[in-house]
Formats: sequence, C-alpha cells, structure tokens
Amino acid sequence: MLINKDMKMADVIHLDHHLLHVINRFNIQLGFEDKTVETVCKEYQVNTDFFLEIVNTYHDPSYFPLKNLQRFKPTLLVDYLQKTHHYYLGIKIPEIEQFINQLLLNNKIEPVHSKLLADFFQSYKTELTTHITKEEQRVYPYVKRLEGYLTQSIDKELITKEIKDYSIQEYEQEHDDVEAKLYDLKNIIIKYLPSPTDSSLFNKILHDLFELERDLNNHGRFENLILVPIVEKMEKDLLQKIKKS
Amino acid sequence: MRRLTILMIEQSFIIREGIKTLLSQMNQPFTMEEIDWVVADLPKLLRKTKPNLVFINPVSVVPNALLSRTNDHKILFIGMIHGETELNIISKFDICLDVYSDKQTLSKQIEELIEKNIGSSKEKQNSNLSERETNILKLVALGLTNNDIGEKLFISSQTVMTHRKNITRKLGIKTVSGLTVYAILHKIIKAEEL
Repeated sequence: MLINKDMKMADVIHLDHHLLHVINRFNIQLGFEDKTVETVCKEYQVNTDFFLEIVNTYHDPSYFPLKNLQRFKPTLLVDYLQKTHHYYLGIKIPEIEQFINQLLLNNKIEPVHSKLLADFFQSYKTELTTHITKEEQRVYPYVKRLEGYLTQSIDKELITKEIKDYSIQEYEQEHDDVEAKLYDLKNIIIKYLPSPTDSSLFNKILHDLFELERDLNNHGRFENLILVPIVEKMEKDLLQKIKKS
Repeated sequence: MRRLTILMIEQSFIIREGIKTLLSQMNQPFTMEEIDWVVADLPKLLRKTKPNLVFINPVSVVPNALLSRTNDHKILFIGMIHGETELNIISKFDICLDVYSDKQTLSKQIEELIEKNIGSSKEKQNSNLSERETNILKLVALGLTNNDIGEKLFISSQTVMTHRKNITRKLGIKTVSGLTVYAILHKIIKAEEL
C-alpha cells in the first residue's frame, strides 16, 4: 500500500515504523496529532510530492518511479542525500560502535574474536567515511554548480574544463566496494563468529547492520538511478549550450 | 568455539551437573543429551543423538555395548571412571577421566581432548573448501595478489580468479579483509602472520 498525502502522518508510522528516521531527515518531528501528511509537510515547509516519493521508495522497494523522481530539482535531491549521510555517520555508525565497544568489554566473548570484529568494523567505517566525504566535497558541490550554470550566463572554458575533469560516472564503482564490506560484516557475525551463550549484543548489532544496509541500498539507488542520469543530462545540456553560444 | 553435541550416560545427577558446570566454565558451548538409565543399545542411541562427544560411566552401559561402538571414528568416547576399573574396559575409551581428580586436571584433559580431536577436524566440517581453495584463501588473506598467487602455485592468474570466485560463493564473503577474518577464525592463518 502506497502512502498518499491524505493519510494521517501517525498512521504512516503505524504502517511502517522504519520510516521514522527517514521522516526525521526532513526535520519533521513527532507529535503529529491527527494531521495529514500534506498538512505536516506544509507546516515544516517540505515539498509534499518529493516527501511522498522518498517515503514510498523506502516503504516499498518495488516502487521506484524514475520519471517522477527525475523531475525534481537536483539540489532537492542532494539536500536529502546529505541528510542521509548525516544519519549514517552521525547516528547509525556511532550506535553500532557503542555496541561493539560493549562487546569488547564483555568477558563472555573471546577477546580475539571481538577484536577481529571491531577491527573489521573500523575498516568498514573508514571506507564509508571516505566515500561519503568524497561525495560531500566533490560530487554534491559539482551538482549544485552545474545547476547554477544552467540558469546564469556562463564562462565557456571554465565549464568545459570542469565537465572534462570530473565525470559523474567514476563514483558508481565505489558503491559496490562499500556494500561488499557490509555484506561480509553481516556474514561474519551470522555464520562464522562463534556465538556466545547470550547473543543479544550480536543481535542488536545485526539489526542495526540490516537497517543500515537497507538505507544504503535505497541511497545508492537514488544516486545511481536518479542523480547520475540527472547530472549526465545537465552535463550534456551545458555542453550544447556552449556550442550554440 | 564450535558448539558440541554431547551425549552423557551417567546415572549420577551430581556428576552430570558437575561436567556441565566444568564445560560452561571452560566457555565451551554445548548441547547435552542426558541419559540416567542403563543403556542396552548404544549404537541406536548414537544414531539418534549424533554426538561429537560421549561421556560414559562404564557401569551405565551393558558391557557388550561398548564393544560395538568401534566403527564410528568421528565420535569421541570418554570414560568416567569411579575408582578401580578393569583395564579392558578402560581400553575401550579414547580417554578416561577419574571423577575424583581435581578441577584443573579435569578441565585440562577435556580441553586437550577437544582441541586435538575436534579442533583439527573443524575446518573440514565447517567449510567445504577444497584443499586448493584453502591454500589460495590463505595466500589471499596474507595479502598476495592474483598474480603473486599464480606464480607461487604455478597456475594462471585467471585460474586463481576462478578459485577466488568459488571461495566467495562458498563462504559468502566478498572482500579481502573479510576473507582474512575468516582465515583467522578458522586458524588457516595466525593473526601475527599479517
């Protein structure tokens, strides 16, 4: 069942509580009373259509309306993606880290094993952070600049050089590597780490990893299927604009 | 540590509990089937419970039962001896524990037994990697490239790739650092070797 603008926001959460942190990314906070999605969005000055597309792709992985999504302004998308980055590095990763620290202190678990897991997680974190930093510092500003160029008078040489120097395609590959590490991390815990008599800590870590993975997959889809094509189109349009002028 | 399935044939409640406590304190995960009557058909019981380890008080099985167990090499038989026992009964077991020995001696004996017999067969049972694949996994974990490995083993790097794909498929681990963790956990390499 897809979420629409006339549903009560409270019912949306009852329907799929995994959406809570997605909704928070729009700076929307709890305490909805009986307000509809549309009313809440207006209150928080959020683009309702964009909000709906985002929560629906998240709620139903088979729902991915390319055409609808590609008509939104790139900056809108970039702002949202940046918020998800903040969620990963500012909330989710520290949360998992806390559990892993508890694991290191737990004397029922072989220290060698918790250390292996902690080290592996650290290397995953480093990779994810590097990847995110690169996007924040290079990709997103680039997207925003391109959007700017389309509406203002332009410096031909500067833009041609910029587009040549940087092509959006190059970062698609990196997503795969970050994903593979997360996959391994899960399997190491599920299949290979000898489980302690009480596995509740492991369960918590796994829960978080699965949630993070789901979010990252959604995030990656947005980048590869929407952001990349939008940027490619902008690059093409700009180069054409230059040719004509 | 791997979880052991244990069959415990011992009429004494106190001794059964004692062994359980000992194993727990050794951090050895296990599930235990407890038998508190005299066993007549040991092979049937073994088929039913499929244990790795069997603790037996010799007086809790009918004497012939112990004779018919020899064909199963995967199961370890531990005799729990109370006082004087005939040599031909002791010889039926892989190891005998004197129930009156102190805690340290007992846990050391059990630990050694598990490590020597079950620890070594662990890789074979846990992963279905072939010997070649295990070798390649080891070299990957040590940080060698496909080319290095190919040269070392006199095979093409293409063949190394194929092996690596199979390893990843079998283990469900894709990255080099993930394979390294697996290799350490399964004692294919030592952490100090890295």
